[in-house]
This record gives sequence, C-alpha cells and structure tokens, in this order.
Amino acid sequence: MYQIPREEWYDLTRSTNWTYSYVSEEEMFPEEMSGSRGIPIEAWETYDEPYKVTYPEYVSIQREKDSGAYSVKAALERDAYVDRADPGWISTMIAHYGAIAVNEYAASLAEARMARFSKAPGNRNMATFGTLDENRHGQIQLFFPHANIKRSRQWDWAHKAMHTNDWAAIAARSFFDDIMLSRDAIAVSIMLTFGFETGFTNMQFLGLAADASEAGDHTFASLISSVQTDEARHAQQGGPSLKILIENGQKEEAQKLVDVSIWRAWKLFSVLTGPIMDYYTPLEHRSQSFKEFMVEWIIVQFERQLADLGLDAPWFWEDLTKDLDVTHHGMHLGVWYWRPTVWWNPAAGASPEDREWLEEKYPGWNKTWGKCWDVITENLNNGREDLTLPETLPYVCNMCQLPIVGTPGEGWNVRDYPLEHEGRLYHFGSEADRWCFEQDPERYKEHQNLIDRFLSGQVQPADLPGTLAYMNLGPGEMGKDAHDYAWAAAFKKQVSAA
Amino acid sequence: MTTTKLKDAYKQNKVGPIFNGGDVAQAAIEAAEWDNPDKDISVDDKGAYVRISAEQELVITRESMEEALGRDFQMNEIEIHLGSMAGQIEVTSEKIRFYFEKTL
Repeated sequence: MYQIPREEWYDLTRSTNWTYSYVSEEEMFPEEMSGSRGIPIEAWETYDEPYKVTYPEYVSIQREKDSGAYSVKAALERDAYVDRADPGWISTMIAHYGAIAVNEYAASLAEARMARFSKAPGNRNMATFGTLDENRHGQIQLFFPHANIKRSRQWDWAHKAMHTNDWAAIAARSFFDDIMLSRDAIAVSIMLTFGFETGFTNMQFLGLAADASEAGDHTFASLISSVQTDEARHAQQGGPSLKILIENGQKEEAQKLVDVSIWRAWKLFSVLTGPIMDYYTPLEHRSQSFKEFMVEWIIVQFERQLADLGLDAPWFWEDLTKDLDVTHHGMHLGVWYWRPTVWWNPAAGASPEDREWLEEKYPGWNKTWGKCWDVITENLNNGREDLTLPETLPYVCNMCQLPIVGTPGEGWNVRDYPLEHEGRLYHFGSEADRWCFEQDPERYKEHQNLIDRFLSGQVQPADLPGTLAYMNLGPGEMGKDAHDYAWAAAFKKQVSAA
Repeated sequence: MTTTKLKDAYKQNKVGPIFNGGDVAQAAIEAAEWDNPDKDISVDDKGAYVRISAEQELVITRESMEEALGRDFQMNEIEIHLGSMAGQIEVTSEKIRFYFEKTL
C-alpha cells in the first residue's frame, strides 16, 4: 500500500493554532505558563522541530525499544548478576535509581506543560511524545530495581528517595524542580530539553552504560541506553526555541537560561556521576574517567552544539573546565565521610591500584586528595573507624545544596561566596552558584538548605541521629563502606610485605 | 591536555550519530561510507555505544541502510538505537542528516 511520505502532510496537520472565539490568547496561553516573552504567536508558529515523528511511528518504535530492554532483563534474570556484582557497582545502581527514577515523572510534567502551553505547535506535538517518554522512564526505572528489594532495603530508595529530606534528594529536587516544575514552557524547552538532555543526560545514560557494559551488567546498560534514545529525540525541542529567541532579539535571555541550567546540572553531576565513574565502578571496568566523559560529551559535543545555535560559551566556561579536576573529588570525599547520610554504600575507591589510576588521570591527586585518604586509611588500619565517621554536618551551598568544597593539601583553597539579600546572608560554593541566585532572587530566596533547617530548629534532636531521622534513613538503609574497608587493609599488607 | 586547550576543545566540526549497538549501528557505518563518498568516516566504538562521525555533514539514506541490512528499513527505525548525536539533525522518510551550520 502506498503511504504518503510524512513530510508531505506533517507540517499541515500539526499546525493547530486555530482562532479561538470564546477566550483571549492570554487566557488560552497565560504568560507564566507559556513564556512567549512578548514574541508574537506568528513567530512561534515558525518553530520547526528537526526531529519529526507521527503517533503511529512513535508507538511502533517505542514498542521495539521496550521489548528490547525488557527482554534483556528477562533473559538475564536467572543469571542473578546482582548477587555476584562488585558492591561498588551495586552502589552505582542504587544511587542512580534513587536520584533519577522519580524525577522522570517530574520531567513528564515538564513535557506536559510544553504540550499544553507552548505557543509553538511543533513544540506541543513533540512534547506530547516527550510526556509519554518520561512516563516510560519513570516506570521502567522503578520496575527494574524493584526486583532487588528482597536483597536490600536500599533498593527501595529508587521510589523513596525523592519523597525524603535526605540531603542528596534535596539537592536533586532543587535542581529538577527549578528546570522542570517551576518554569514556563519555553524555559523548559531550553533548560530541560536543550541544557540538560542534549548535554548531561548523555553522561548518565550513555557514558555510564559504557561502564555498565564493561562491568558485565547488560541489563542496566541496555536499560539506560534505551532511555537515552528517547532523550535524543525529545531533546531536539530546545534548539528551535533558541533560534526564535535569538531571531527576536532575546539572545541574552536565551543565554542566561542555558547557562543556569548547565551550571546547576554540572554541580549535581559532580556529586552523583563523578564519584560513580571514578570511584564506585570497579577499576578494571572504568572505560574512561569522569573527566574524559565530561570532555567528550559536554566540553566538546555539547558546547559545539551551543555555538552552532548562535550562543556563546557560558561566562563560567573556563572555571568549569578547571573544576573537572577538582569538584567531584571533593564531593566524593564528603559523600564517603558522611556515608550514613546516603541511601547507598559509597565505595572509597582508594586502594593502592585505584590511587595509581587516579594519579594518572588527575596528576597531583596524591598530593591533594590523597593526603586526606592517607589519614582515613591510617585511622582505619589502627582500628579507629570512629575517627572516619561524621559527628557534625558540612556547610552546604544555598544554590546547589551540596557541600562547599575545594582542594585539600598545601594549596587548600576552600572558599565561601557569600551574598546578603533582603537581610538574609546566603552562602555559595562558587561564583557561578552565587550568579545563578542573583539572576532570579525571588525564585530562590525562601529556600532553606539543610543547614538552615538545622540551625532554625527544624531538625530535632539537633544532632547526627536526629538528622538521620530527619532524612528518613532507617537501619539497613544508611550507607556504609561498600567493601568493608578491604581497600584500606590492602595498604597494611603492602607495609608488612615491605 | 592543558586547561587552555580544554576551553577551546569544542572548536571542531565533527558530526554524526551515536548508536547504542544493534545491527543498525553496523549497517549505518557501511551506509555512511556509501552515502558520503568524499568524506573520511571515523568510528569510535566504546562498547555500549558507537560514535560515527565526519566533518561538517554526514548523511545516511534509507536506500543504503536497506542495502547494508539486506532488508526493508524505515528511516525512523534508526531511533531505536540512536542514543545521541553530534551536530544538528534533519530527518525525512528517505534520509537522516547530521550537520553544523557554522564552521569553527
């Protein structure tokens, strides 16, 4: 049967901006939801989505993707990979699911906002599929870990994490709420689909899949890389929005939305993806370092795309390239030290062989981060685990909600970037975090980070056990060292052998 | 690689698809060679994904995909394994095109 090619009828049928007679345009598309920024609807009608799909095509393709991922899972279930996987790899999966799965539903709401409120018909059409995509990502990433709840309560955090006040959940929500749940349709298309999905999701869903495949975890690899095939399509919604903003004299606004999104995504990935790739993934399965993945996907591929669409490199670009050597090492040290406060078991990744690899990938690591791990290692080998566990809380940034970190050792450079706004003193971990706040103080000013809550008496009793209870962490859920300190004991053997 | 270089590392013009595996990825490598005869096609296999690229523009046609796969192929089937892409994209029933508007 002859079918008329899609391109001969698609543009006509998806142009659904008919003339309304019962309501005004402002009622149909309230500015706070649509975000047209004074650009007339005729201009938004020129929005030309580069990746066009029809509903029948969508359904048949998605069916193929799902049957692929689910059949790999079914085929490997009896293999019980999880029972023999390295504990560091298990932590990778548990951290991933808790931070990501439920936020996929938030992404679905963000897509639905574009599907209803964008003034661009092409945006609405693609976002309808995007809504379904993200719903699929939520379901599949809750279903896969659910099979492992019998193994440990930590797997249950795939669903639980985002409903708690765990600090990592607060940080993830703070970012995702900002770009997904509290922005107008056009800002969502730029901050979520362009800023986040053209760039950073590649790190978590393809970069990490490369490690998963090295680790022999084909179920996880096929799951997350299948998720990214949806992203590759619906991430294309931001480009046309950027073009329209730039054509209508709003490059500065476009640039700001992109820059805020990139910086906030970077900070979240520095605590989630950085430690996973450079410390939790067993050494022999690390296909590239976190920095190498960042260079491949963000510093080269994403930034090049940004330039092609007519935007500049973010003003903090050079800071970001430098931070690739620094931030995630500090985040990892913090997460490991405050391990009872997370829902996974952080792997130290600091055995003699690990440290050799870290020094190779990050020259100078031993003279800086290594010095902190020397002290931790010595304490553990002297039977003083108590000295390696926290009694207080670290100071956290009022933007990224993560500890304020810097480089230890002789070049010790931890710095606070304070800001007083309407009589309240805020603390930030970097110039760029403070800059994000300054772009829209109304949006952020009421938020209380974990330390603000602690100091204002919301956490009771005001001590570590009280804080753990506030974070909803019960016995069997709090993190401990993934390898029960075997990596530290390896140094003891080294000494006695010498 | 020094930091100064890293800052400017994006100043290159490689475009192309990134597949998460499957016979489609292998076929696309062959198709890319046929459909872009004047270009050097580079292939970077990372295990879980394969990066196929060329300078400035890379086209893959449905006809070449059918030839490489030895079966019928609808262009949109490429999405099943298309995990990411470098460059902008244009998709029609007969071909998929990756490109940059600017040359850096």
